[in-house]
Amino acid sequence: MKILPILIGALFLAGCVQIPENTFVVTPELIQQRQLETRRYDGIKEADLIAASANVLQDLGFILENSETRLGVLTANKQRDAIHAGEVAAAIIVALLGGGAMAISKDQTIRVALVVRPVIDSNGKAMSESHFVRVTFQRLVRLTDNSTRVETLREPELYRDFFERLSKSVFLEAQKI
Amino acid sequence: MKYLVTAIILLLSLLSGCATTNQRVLDSGDETQLQKRSYQSRIFDTADKEKVLRATISTLQDLGFVIDRADLMLGSVSGTKLEGHQIKITVSVRPKGTDRMLVRANAQFNNTPIEDPKHYQNFFVSLEKSLFLTAHAGE
Repeated sequence: MKILPILIGALFLAGCVQIPENTFVVTPELIQQRQLETRRYDGIKEADLIAASANVLQDLGFILENSETRLGVLTANKQRDAIHAGEVAAAIIVALLGGGAMAISKDQTIRVALVVRPVIDSNGKAMSESHFVRVTFQRLVRLTDNSTRVETLREPELYRDFFERLSKSVFLEAQKI
Repeated sequence: MKYLVTAIILLLSLLSGCATTNQRVLDSGDETQLQKRSYQSRIFDTADKEKVLRATISTLQDLGFVIDRADLMLGSVSGTKLEGHQIKITVSVRPKGTDRMLVRANAQFNNTPIEDPKHYQNFFVSLEKSLFLTAHAGE
């Protein structure tokens, strides 16, 4: 008797996983994100800027994954522990309260894509010694029950810190140290 | 008894939704190859492949994608967007004649192909803005 509505519900579930409406639309939040992720560097050639960037990624322990220097693209990743003290404590409390084993973060893959593109001057020409660097970090966290959680990192401090390191590296590269 | 029959029919209808491996590999749905190509492609009036590729990369980044790989020779760019769900896209840029570029995109949402032309339309609108060029339907 009661099973019919449940089955109908299940039928609907099976059919629909919705693609978010504005997946391919640039929203104001995304423009804000762009500002956070982009810095301009002057006085350095594209090839040197990419080399400086690759060096910073290595400083940060990333393994280079892919590159197409002719398009200014660099991608890298690293696997790290994702155990978080607060989360462990919460899991213990849940277990003590009889909630059973709660899945907590186990490890994570951190991915980064870095793209260098020339600044376009007022005549529409690409400048040879001024470039924008845009970097994006993503994270794929595996939980103890083997499920995964994915996200793009948005903390402004993270990006600020990264660009500070890149500035240092650009300086070193320019001085050929 | 009546409900049991209804339940069985409903369950069978769920099963019928499952495609065979071959259908999955070839993604052979109701659309023809040509229909798919037409909403996934646009033509731009420029002969500069590198410019189109760099604009594609910027557009994908603006849309929140992380670039996975790019290849100037092949003219391809792939990216991934992670927002609790996963969207993957590949964009290819090929010369069409001597003075135009054909841009083609295909994307997947988690484990299903994106087949709604509206999403591709949105993507090409963003790309147009970044290229300062108007996209033409082609093929």
